[in-house]
Amino acid sequence: MSLQSAHALPRGARWWLPLLVLVVLLLVWEVAVRRSAAQGLVPLPSGVLASAVKLTANGVIIDAMSGSLARVLIGFAFGALVGIPLGLLIGILPVMDRALRPVLDALRSIAPIAWIPMAILWLGVRGDAALFVVAYGAVFPFIVNTSQAARLIDRRLLAAARALGAGPWILLRSVMLPGSMPLIFTGARIALAFAWASIVAAELAIGIKIQGQGRSVAGIGQLMVETLYVQRDVDALVFYMLTIGLVSLLIDAGLRWLQQRLLPWSQH
Amino acid sequence: MNTLVDIKGVGKTYVSARDGQRVQALDGIDFALRRGEFLTVVGPSGCGKSTLLSLIAGFHAPTVGSITFDGKAIAGPGPERGVMFQDYALFPWRTVAGNVEFGPFARGVSASDRRRKAQTLIDVVGLGGFETRYPHELSGGMRQRCALARMLANDPTMWLMDEPLAAVDLQTRIILQDELLRLWGDAEDGQERPTVMFVTHGIDEAVLLADRVLVLARRPGRIKAVVDVNLPRPRDKARNSAEMARLTEHIWSLIRDEAAQAITEESH
Amino acid sequence: MTDMQSMRRIRNLVEPLLGLALVLAMWHITSRHVANATLVPPPALVWKAFVAMLDDNLPQDILASLLHLAVGYSLGVSCGLALALLAASSRWLDAVIDPFAEFLRPISPIAWIPLAILFLGVGRAVPIFLIFYASIFPIFVSTLAGIRRVDPSLVSAAQSLGASRLIVVRNVILPAALPAVVAGARLSLGVAWMSLVAGEIVGGDAGIGWRILWYQEFFQMDRVMAGILVVGVLGFAADTALRLLQKHAGRWNPAQGNLT
Repeated sequence: MSLQSAHALPRGARWWLPLLVLVVLLLVWEVAVRRSAAQGLVPLPSGVLASAVKLTANGVIIDAMSGSLARVLIGFAFGALVGIPLGLLIGILPVMDRALRPVLDALRSIAPIAWIPMAILWLGVRGDAALFVVAYGAVFPFIVNTSQAARLIDRRLLAAARALGAGPWILLRSVMLPGSMPLIFTGARIALAFAWASIVAAELAIGIKIQGQGRSVAGIGQLMVETLYVQRDVDALVFYMLTIGLVSLLIDAGLRWLQQRLLPWSQH
Repeated sequence: MNTLVDIKGVGKTYVSARDGQRVQALDGIDFALRRGEFLTVVGPSGCGKSTLLSLIAGFHAPTVGSITFDGKAIAGPGPERGVMFQDYALFPWRTVAGNVEFGPFARGVSASDRRRKAQTLIDVVGLGGFETRYPHELSGGMRQRCALARMLANDPTMWLMDEPLAAVDLQTRIILQDELLRLWGDAEDGQERPTVMFVTHGIDEAVLLADRVLVLARRPGRIKAVVDVNLPRPRDKARNSAEMARLTEHIWSLIRDEAAQAITEESH
Repeated sequence: MTDMQSMRRIRNLVEPLLGLALVLAMWHITSRHVANATLVPPPALVWKAFVAMLDDNLPQDILASLLHLAVGYSLGVSCGLALALLAASSRWLDAVIDPFAEFLRPISPIAWIPLAILFLGVGRAVPIFLIFYASIFPIFVSTLAGIRRVDPSLVSAAQSLGASRLIVVRNVILPAALPAVVAGARLSLGVAWMSLVAGEIVGGDAGIGWRILWYQEFFQMDRVMAGILVVGVLGFAADTALRLLQKHAGRWNPAQGNLT
């Protein structure tokens, strides 16, 4: 803007410049690590690539990912099923808002992963404790966004519907719900992104706990712990990190595309 | 020399941000602004009147041609060419006094001096008592007065005003026009008045205030006519006079067809 | 005070308390009759445990966590701000920084934990690093957007009032971008807090997060529950502090409305 100098970048520099910097960085990194003989201790671009090929081919990453993703989806669905009705309740009835909001705000302040110790006790160390954490975290974005959406519904739309003879059930289903969809969708995006981060954290915590007990790997988090303590494969770890990031991107891109298809009238 | 601003062969072409097309805003402008005169600039939408003002203000440079101010080339914005914007551009985080003091502050004037100067100007424009208010607490007319006081704090030789009264209601506009004339020195005689360039859509306003009216045509912006206004000063009694009506009708006849064209062409 | 006003005051006080009482009652019932008291410690026991912890390790645990937060957050926010200023000041730097930020952003800080443990070992460096890394992005994104969104006519006005480039940056762009900066700081604090707890639980050896897991090893579930609630309270307090700061810093801004 005005902070920047008046000279614009040469055409297309936005594309090749970062690519160039990235390639140079990777090359320097590769050479430096090989030279210093720290291979195996420090991740190596070529090593990461090799791990990527190997672990995709033998299905390890696919199994772990599907385990994690399955739990994410279940937790997400739970969050929506509980969060949306609660959010509507709070948004529509000011009484409920005043009564429940302080409690919900307090519960929301508890970082979901803090529940791991309780969840492990209640649900054991297989995978369900992680699911609990994810479901807990997924509820709140839905509550917050849905209640806000309900509160922001244009009063005139409701008045118009009532004047056309709509009863409370129709009002809810055919005016409030569709009108709240864009914000609820945003809540869904936040919830899903959060759920994905939470599952990794929860699985890491569980993995640390059961480490060394030889149980089968239930998700990417446990896989990473095993790689950390058993194989000590640093390149594989970086590969896992990159896939976690890739999945985040895909999830968000997917949801944005979905929003464009389902709610084209809501895009800002 | 009697000429303050000398515009020679000026043209301005820029690339539209919206669709990447080259737009020729101004073409072949030759004009000399006299010291102490009140010049108004009118024309249909898209005639480049705001562009011309921004060239003299120094925010942009002409693509061809040259503009000199007091014999020197214009290198950028400066306190001797004060500007008033259509949307006031008041600093929302500064009080009225803080805004008015900004020019002297930027020029390194001492705190007590600039406070005194600001207070004088605030009283002169009729905002006494509102020194500690923030812009968002003021009405449109008051904001414009604040913007005026802020500009005057630098004792600029030239006032560049870009549709300053467009955003206020008609009654406020009439009052502000009278105040503007008074501050400029409408009732006094002689060469000591600031030089004013006042861009407006309102032809009656243009005739009321001006010594000369510069009429521009559009696509590309060029000079259509220069109309002398020989009404006696002070002008506040000249409203609704026969001569004013005649001049207004004359200028409107010069613009009318292009203005009608502009309405359909500007839609997107 | 009118009748309406006093009724509203009473209502605003009573209803939240009723909500809280309802939740506490449900908790108690679950503990006594639905599950058993070991799995779900009843409220009374949790309170007792909390009081006991106050005398025991709680203060030093909280201090440890706050230290992790303070170090990681201040470093992360400074970095984020610096990067945003760099990106805003030069198109070349922006072209380089922006793609890297976009590339790293989807990789949640949590994913870095194993690598952090590998290089830093289990201990206090893990949560600190995590908080540092997590804090960078929200404030970077928010500050950069805030700087870019500064109304250009404000900059033009300052220039025509005789402001030098330094004054434009310091007295126009910075104050205009401040609301976005503070909003970003608040978002950063949110992720910082999450990363703190995750980092301490998974790879730390000090702090309240680590302590909760420690109590779980000894099956002191009442203390675990108390610890979890403490985490909630601390997180809420930190966010409230920043929210008040945000309100104060933005009081000239009519667009701020009612901050939540």
